[in-house]
Amino acid sequence: MLDISALLEEVKASPYVESSVKTPHSGVVSFNDDLKPGAALFGPQGLYKEKPGTLLANLERERVSKSINALEKGELVAVNTELAGRFVQAGTEIMRVRHFLSRKEVLDIILKEALHLFRAPEKAKYYFVPAVDLKVKNTGPKSVSVHDGMDLFIISRMKRETPLRYSGPDGVIYAVYFSVHQNLDAGEPLIGICPPSQVNQIEEVAMRVQTEWPDE
Amino acid sequence: MEDKRFNQLKERYNYMHDILAGKNNENLRLLASRLEELDSRFPALSARERETAVTSLEDLFNFVEKKIEVELTPMDRVRIVRNPQRICLRDILENVYDNYTEIGSMGEHSPDPAMLIARAYITRRHGKRVFNQSVMVIGHEKGHGEEIRNGGSAQPWGNAKALHYMKVAETENIPIHTYVFTPGAFPVEDTPGAAQQIARNLFEMGNVKVPILAVFSEGGSGGAEAVGLADRRLMLSHGYYSVISPEGGAAIEGNVKRGPRATPELIEKVASDLCITAQDNLRLGYIDRIIQEPNLGARCHHFDFFRLLRQEVLRATDEIVLDVRGMQPFRAMGKRSRRKKIEEGLNMENVRMSWNLSPSAQERLMERRHRKFRGLAGQAFIDPRTKWDLFKQGLNETFWELAGYIRYDLLRKRQQNIANFFGEIRSETSLFIKNQTAPLRRLLGKAIPPLRVKRNGEAEKQLTTLSDWNDGNERGQWSYVSPKAKEDKAVICPNSATHGCLDMWAPDLYGEFAGVCTNCGHHFPMEYQWYLYNMFDAGSIHEFNAEIEARNPLDYEGFDLKLEKAKAATGRKSSCMTFEASIQGINLCVYMLMAPFRGGSVGAAEGEKIILASERASKKRLPLLAYVHGTAGIRIQEGVNGVIQMPRCTMAMRRYIDAGGLYLVLYDTNSYAGPVASFLGCSPYQFGIRSSNVGFAGPGVIQETTGVMPPPHYHSVYKALARGHIQGVWDRREARFNLHQSMLTMGGRNLYYK
Amino acid sequence: MNISDNKVLVANRGEIAIRIVQACRKLGLDFACVHTAEDAHSGHVRLARELGGQGSLYRISSYHDANELMVVADESGATAIHPGYGFFAEDYRFARRVMQRNRGLIFIGPSWRVIRELGDKINTKRLARSLGVPTVPGSDRPIYDEMEAEALAASLFDFQERQGIKKPLVLIKASAGGGGMGIEEVQDIDLFRSVYRRVRNYAARQFKDEGVLIEQRIRDFNHLEVQILADRNAKNIVHFGTRNCSIQSTGLQKRVEIAPGFDPGTITYKFDAQKVLDDITTHSLALARKVKYDSVGTWEWIVTRDGHPYLMEVNTRIQVENGVSAAIARVKGQSGIDLIAEQIRTGLGDPLGYAQDDISFEGMGIEYRIIAEDPDNGFTPWVGRIEEFAWPGTDKEPWLSLHTHVPTDQPYDIPTEFDPNLALGIIWGQDIKQARERGLEFLNNLKLDGQTSSGQRMKTNVEFLKGKTPAILQF
Repeated sequence: MLDISALLEEVKASPYVESSVKTPHSGVVSFNDDLKPGAALFGPQGLYKEKPGTLLANLERERVSKSINALEKGELVAVNTELAGRFVQAGTEIMRVRHFLSRKEVLDIILKEALHLFRAPEKAKYYFVPAVDLKVKNTGPKSVSVHDGMDLFIISRMKRETPLRYSGPDGVIYAVYFSVHQNLDAGEPLIGICPPSQVNQIEEVAMRVQTEWPDE
Repeated sequence: MEDKRFNQLKERYNYMHDILAGKNNENLRLLASRLEELDSRFPALSARERETAVTSLEDLFNFVEKKIEVELTPMDRVRIVRNPQRICLRDILENVYDNYTEIGSMGEHSPDPAMLIARAYITRRHGKRVFNQSVMVIGHEKGHGEEIRNGGSAQPWGNAKALHYMKVAETENIPIHTYVFTPGAFPVEDTPGAAQQIARNLFEMGNVKVPILAVFSEGGSGGAEAVGLADRRLMLSHGYYSVISPEGGAAIEGNVKRGPRATPELIEKVASDLCITAQDNLRLGYIDRIIQEPNLGARCHHFDFFRLLRQEVLRATDEIVLDVRGMQPFRAMGKRSRRKKIEEGLNMENVRMSWNLSPSAQERLMERRHRKFRGLAGQAFIDPRTKWDLFKQGLNETFWELAGYIRYDLLRKRQQNIANFFGEIRSETSLFIKNQTAPLRRLLGKAIPPLRVKRNGEAEKQLTTLSDWNDGNERGQWSYVSPKAKEDKAVICPNSATHGCLDMWAPDLYGEFAGVCTNCGHHFPMEYQWYLYNMFDAGSIHEFNAEIEARNPLDYEGFDLKLEKAKAATGRKSSCMTFEASIQGINLCVYMLMAPFRGGSVGAAEGEKIILASERASKKRLPLLAYVHGTAGIRIQEGVNGVIQMPRCTMAMRRYIDAGGLYLVLYDTNSYAGPVASFLGCSPYQFGIRSSNVGFAGPGVIQETTGVMPPPHYHSVYKALARGHIQGVWDRREARFNLHQSMLTMGGRNLYYK
Repeated sequence: MNISDNKVLVANRGEIAIRIVQACRKLGLDFACVHTAEDAHSGHVRLARELGGQGSLYRISSYHDANELMVVADESGATAIHPGYGFFAEDYRFARRVMQRNRGLIFIGPSWRVIRELGDKINTKRLARSLGVPTVPGSDRPIYDEMEAEALAASLFDFQERQGIKKPLVLIKASAGGGGMGIEEVQDIDLFRSVYRRVRNYAARQFKDEGVLIEQRIRDFNHLEVQILADRNAKNIVHFGTRNCSIQSTGLQKRVEIAPGFDPGTITYKFDAQKVLDDITTHSLALARKVKYDSVGTWEWIVTRDGHPYLMEVNTRIQVENGVSAAIARVKGQSGIDLIAEQIRTGLGDPLGYAQDDISFEGMGIEYRIIAEDPDNGFTPWVGRIEEFAWPGTDKEPWLSLHTHVPTDQPYDIPTEFDPNLALGIIWGQDIKQARERGLEFLNNLKLDGQTSSGQRMKTNVEFLKGKTPAILQF
């Protein structure tokens, strides 16, 4: 049986995550000069998250500039200002940010313990089969119920695609842990399944997080 | 008793204060101080003194009201119309008609409480006999500010219900009285769709076979047109009829985007520039008659006004009927005498007049209605064509019609008969031969090579040597290449975050890829020239009516300059180009709305060109294509001259479709508002280029009117397709193929190639 | 301009990137290399660091993103881009952009118009036919008319029957299609019409073009190639002989290539093999001259069992198997030919410096592609960690050259998204007998092992290659 309280305490002990902001591709970087370490950052906002988060930097390549925006609410920790106006290679760290875990993230962390995780059997890219993909995109993953032996994924590697069957308890997909074009190592979780028998427990987790985790 | 009168005075003061919107007014200040003064000493006064004081104050009120009435600004009228005290449709049903039953609504239990339908009758007496004359009453209900009524802003299903009961009235052969009390339609895209339903209403109302009388109090743009297309259009003297709310116009004028709102002064000015009053509309010809209201507008207690309205409604309905009655000699006399009586201002209640129409009268009614709208807005554009030009044009048209008749009706029918005859003979012969040789063929199996195989040497040559091939269009090469393809830079696809699209090189993207992302299929906007030269056969485009020119019919301040700029920048005289062209050899007639000219907005010149194109297409038996490179809506600076293009052009499309044509609409980039809610949205075959948007009101306007921001991609063509607003989504590069396909598979009989 | 003033951006990875870097070094050219984060430990990165220092290396987001290559070229001061094979090698738009951008660069490969012209199979077929170069019997243009299509198919069946083909087959392909989509086989003229309609309707829906190609389906054939090299102005066009690439996986991927294409001296064929080899080289050169070919390229042919050669397509790039042709070629009697270096040298504008008469051939070459895959299981790729990779005993032999990006001194995780080749082993022998013996010696001494994260043993195609070696060039 899952000890929700213990998990929550564990998360509460270190409620921040620090991460680095890297350039998605090569180019000349310029920083948003209004931002200094310690500045508050906002993730995408608006009813539909249609407004992008705080502008962190711009990256220009081939005479087109791409903005790099904050993805989450948080705080700027450090800026590699020596890179300003210079050419940087793809994947170069330009900033460090940290943010207080949101309810959703806490829930995700705990759910990862509570749900049945179906893991990548090998290093590859993974996709849902088209029918499931459509359903996930249109009505959300929770509308997909899975059962043992169901064709659920396509494994793509070396330009070859092979189907992958789901094995594990029947239930609905509660969480999706991969995205398209993402290479996963063997053993990384693909999806989290909630068997019908555990729905109550999962809902309890959600409620506990809702009440015990401070709102943003 | 005096208490009550005194309180009424206070209310009158408040009303005046409201409609003047707190504007600094000497008279109001005077009234206020007098009221205050009386109020302070009122308790101490005797009954007699009170009576005297109140009476004298009443006189002062009447005097001031008269004074203010003369000085009312257009914006004051807008406030009068929106004031909760203004009469609404229910008051009219109670006071103008003798009996009525509401159809399909009980308070909030209604598909749309903003739209009211009632079966009603008006009682007339002729001598001792009593006649109850039935009408279908349809209109917006503002409900004195009741929240559920939404200010008379009808939902799409409200307009759908209105149309439904117009059809019922048609079946029952009773006149329709519509009352326009709307600030505009409620901008939701949910099926049947705000724009599409208005378009449907206009399309159908043009041919409803019973008299339609419309009374305008608040005529807010597209929402008004949904029930306003009528044989007679009356207007209350304090009403307004406008292309856009003055606030909306000011927001556009002041270029206000989610910032501070436009100033009251700007709104006042826009209201006056837009020519929205009853007088303006009568002068411009968009209404037929004004019904005078009491000073500062009609309110519930103005019983005289209701009596007047009743007379006017009866008179107008009689006139419509009289105009289309047959001209049999024995009736003509009666008609003349009755007309005389009407003109003499007789009490209409004592006139006996049936509103039933015979089939031939119904035909005339529709013809007149079409003629009425066809003739509107003639003064609002520049037509440099001389009488001689028009005469030649007329000759041409007659020739097309005649030639078309001879070529396609007379000759082809004969040819077909002959072809059918030979076709039958041929099929019978081949059947005969097959039957005769069947046993032999079965016996020999495949030993007999099929007849069509050529001699060996020749066949081998055919299989192994170069054949003749005239590959006209080189693959991946476009006849027109965007100037954007000349820049050495990368372009980011807006879907790159979700679809992982890589940046494309502008010369590739805007050149060979025709502005389409190779990864996700997103369509970047392209110039209209791209379509002109890549969608139609090379060299097949012949423009006509290019000389018809947009102007500034209301002398809207500053607009002359803007118009000149647009003309200079685009080299066009209006946002609409009409031309004939061909696609894979099939000729068609096209009207195109071009986004670079004032956002592709539609005014009187554009409307006229569209109608002329449809008439030409009809006479020449050509398919009609509306290629909408983009349209922001009706050109607001033209006021009602612009709005009236909605019914005008929709009725022209109706005539074209009824004649058996094929009316195709192709939306590109962004198409919104009036045009979509009328002559575009009425087509049974509407298609959208990928990544374009089709809708009624843009996201900003929706947020403004409903207070809720619509979700992203709310107006995307795929959403429009899912809602049933359009019939397909096309890839730009396949538009030519799909148009050809559409011409082959869709449309009526009046097409020259069918 | 002296070509040594140039700097070459190597727009590729793995084995070909290594070969390009080595060729640049040989020519005294500066170079810059790119790699993805995932490829940070790949062989080409180590070699570039060794030969050009850390400054010659640029981390990019993807090998598929042309923009990354352009900015790195600008940043590094490169004047030319070598695309290698795969990725952008045959993308005429990339070649065009490289040349036409404001800061223009040299594309080391054919000019973009040539790539485009030969990239269209219908166009190539018509060009060939216009010169009398044999192509697969059938149509050389899209057919839109059903009657015409049926007549053509009937002729094709008839034609095959007269050639004594037991089970004639006709292919119907959507002319606007590609990648194996919209292709169907017909065995019987009576079925033609229904299959034709299916393909036509599919093509109309999928490609908005109803055109189809109708061709003979040839099943029993050998796959031959002619190696062409030309200088930048297309004045001097030579060939470097033929190759036979008929040993393939079930997915029709090449596994063993042998130069020359046939061995008429030792092996008996049912047809005049020498004439076939001569014919296909002559035809290939004719077509190269016609299109003004101006780089290295490969003309792909199929040769039927009765000795009919048909031109299939032209690969407008350096190919994996270029080394096996180089192994048997001698220029003015000298060995050690490097076709990649020749491609770079001429691509930068250097004249070829020799004519066809200066080129001779000696002995026989075999190239083995060593791949982590399971030949018993449909050649499924194997992914995991390589723990041992060595070829003791043959590593000092002058008759062997081995090209690999896999390190031999440390374990190596196979990246998941690229060409599965681990190594190319090129063997030279005086004659076919010696070549076969040396080939087997190499394969027998090869040590290649590893495991997946779940502990499964590595799978390779080495046994498959051994099994194919004794019968090479037999047809």
